Amino acid sequence: MTAAAVTAAEPGRRLAGLTVLIVEDESIISFLVEDMLKDIGCTTVLHASGVAEALALLAAQPPDAAVLDVNLAGEMVFPVAERLQASGIPFIFTTGYGLKGMPPNWALLPVVQKPFKRETLTAALASAVGR
Amino acid sequence: MTMPRSIATPAPAPAGPDAFFGAAPAAQALLDLLPVGIYTCDRDGRIESFNRRAAALWGREPKLRDPAELFCGSHQIYRLDGVAVPRAEIPMAEVLRTGIAAADVEAIVERPDGARFVALVNITPLRDADGNVIGAVNCFQDITEQKQAQDMLRQAERHWRELLEAMPVAIYTTDAEGRITFYNQAAVAMSGRRPELGTDQWCVTWKLYWPDGRSLPHDQCPMAIALTQGRPINGGVEAVAERPDGTRIPFIPYPTPLRDAAGKVTGAINMLVDISDRKRAEARQKSLLDELNHRVKNTLATVQSLAAQTMRGDRDRDEQREAFEERLLALSRVHNQLAREQWESADLGRIVHDIVAPFGQERVSVDGASTKLASVAALPLAMVLHELATNAAKFGALSAPEGRLALGWKIERVNGARRLRIDWRESGGPEVQPPVYRGFGSRLLERSVGQELRGSAQLDFDPAGLRCRLEIPLHAADA
Repeated sequence: MTAAAVTAAEPGRRLAGLTVLIVEDESIISFLVEDMLKDIGCTTVLHASGVAEALALLAAQPPDAAVLDVNLAGEMVFPVAERLQASGIPFIFTTGYGLKGMPPNWALLPVVQKPFKRETLTAALASAVGR
Repeated sequence: MTMPRSIATPAPAPAGPDAFFGAAPAAQALLDLLPVGIYTCDRDGRIESFNRRAAALWGREPKLRDPAELFCGSHQIYRLDGVAVPRAEIPMAEVLRTGIAAADVEAIVERPDGARFVALVNITPLRDADGNVIGAVNCFQDITEQKQAQDMLRQAERHWRELLEAMPVAIYTTDAEGRITFYNQAAVAMSGRRPELGTDQWCVTWKLYWPDGRSLPHDQCPMAIALTQGRPINGGVEAVAERPDGTRIPFIPYPTPLRDAAGKVTGAINMLVDISDRKRAEARQKSLLDELNHRVKNTLATVQSLAAQTMRGDRDRDEQREAFEERLLALSRVHNQLAREQWESADLGRIVHDIVAPFGQERVSVDGASTKLASVAALPLAMVLHELATNAAKFGALSAPEGRLALGWKIERVNGARRLRIDWRESGGPEVQPPVYRGFGSRLLERSVGQELRGSAQLDFDPAGLRCRLEIPLHAADA
């Protein structure tokens, strides 16, 4: 086993068996995130395209972690982030905007910029979960 | 001042203009050398003496003690407005009658040749020991040039005030201490207030801030710096003015000290250039660039996903490459349609045409009115239609020469809301089998239409031909 494979496998182990919510408006991109998470062993991947749908899902089926796209066709994902924070569910952001576009109160949370490698996404999510 | 008695008492008959109250020759010479006209009258107004300058100003030499020529040696006196003054009412006559001195009276004096000049007149009554008026001394000078210079100055000042007033940019001036001495209407409009002349200092604005929002005290503003350091500030500094109503205007000041002939700073002029429009354009440009960056990054992630999806299947490499290229080109074509309409919308008819055109008009019938779709709806819908067309070409009606596709859409009203209904009907192709596994196409159909577009997708694997009905709610952005 190479050193890179060890480091890539480590975060994956932490995420294995988890239920993860993806909030992403663009279906094709949501497949990418969904497949990446399934590939590293997340058992259930829930998906929502908008804020209302995500809040309804959170109430019905609280996940272990979440991956939130910042801009959902013009609608900002932050109400979902607030709900997750209040419930103590770890999450990360994905965004097509630069990091400068993040509001200051969320700037300290992990942000993965699109496009991204599977390793980058899973490492960020694993570090959020491991906190 | 009391006149020495020897001068106040008329001497016997002086022979000409040189004789002045019988003064000593040296005193007479002195009087004649003075650059002002001087003459005296007795209590009845008869001219008793005058110096050379008086005769030169009058343009004539009056006869002394002539009862026919009282109060003045001039031909005619006028008021400044040009009205002729009767001789009995000229200043000398008034002083003799009232005993009250006349100080700095201005009058127009006409010479026998018709030439006129403006005279500045000072008259002092002469009194005897008992205080009775016994005559008067008149000292007068030609101030025509002075008056003209003053008029020109006033005119010049009015000229530059009118000029500054007409400027469409806020301008004001201050004295050397920075107190406002002038401001134009544009300055009132920009500052949202009427500055207090002589009281307000340094700037016409209500409050000042640096561009980063920190407060900028007036005594530290660029105008204060220009005045205290005696140097102009030629732009390069931005500030923000706040009006009393709270609105803020970004601007660039151009303060310049004003100097007198000796180079001493006597005040300053400042021009405040409103840069709101530029700031708005900059903000718009930044938001457009942010938006562009967002789209590029999302498109790259979409391409990444298309590649990953295409490679997941168990098809051979050539088939995978072909499928990926077709999906990439489908994405590219819908981008072209969005670019036609500034990325705000795309026409469904054009999107459909791009997708079905390769199959020929005799095999595909299209029926639908021009329908504009918002960009968020156009992209996923185009990709869904592309997957349906690819499936039809590989396994469905378009894989057989006699197969047909009918594609129609219309806008329906359901409970007041507008809904787009698309019907996809294949016929004449090989017998349809329900798929054994869910591929990218059905996954996309489900999520794009069902979740992303908040509509519904109904797939019917009729053995005679695949049918698909899509129902998508339309929002204000779609038309």
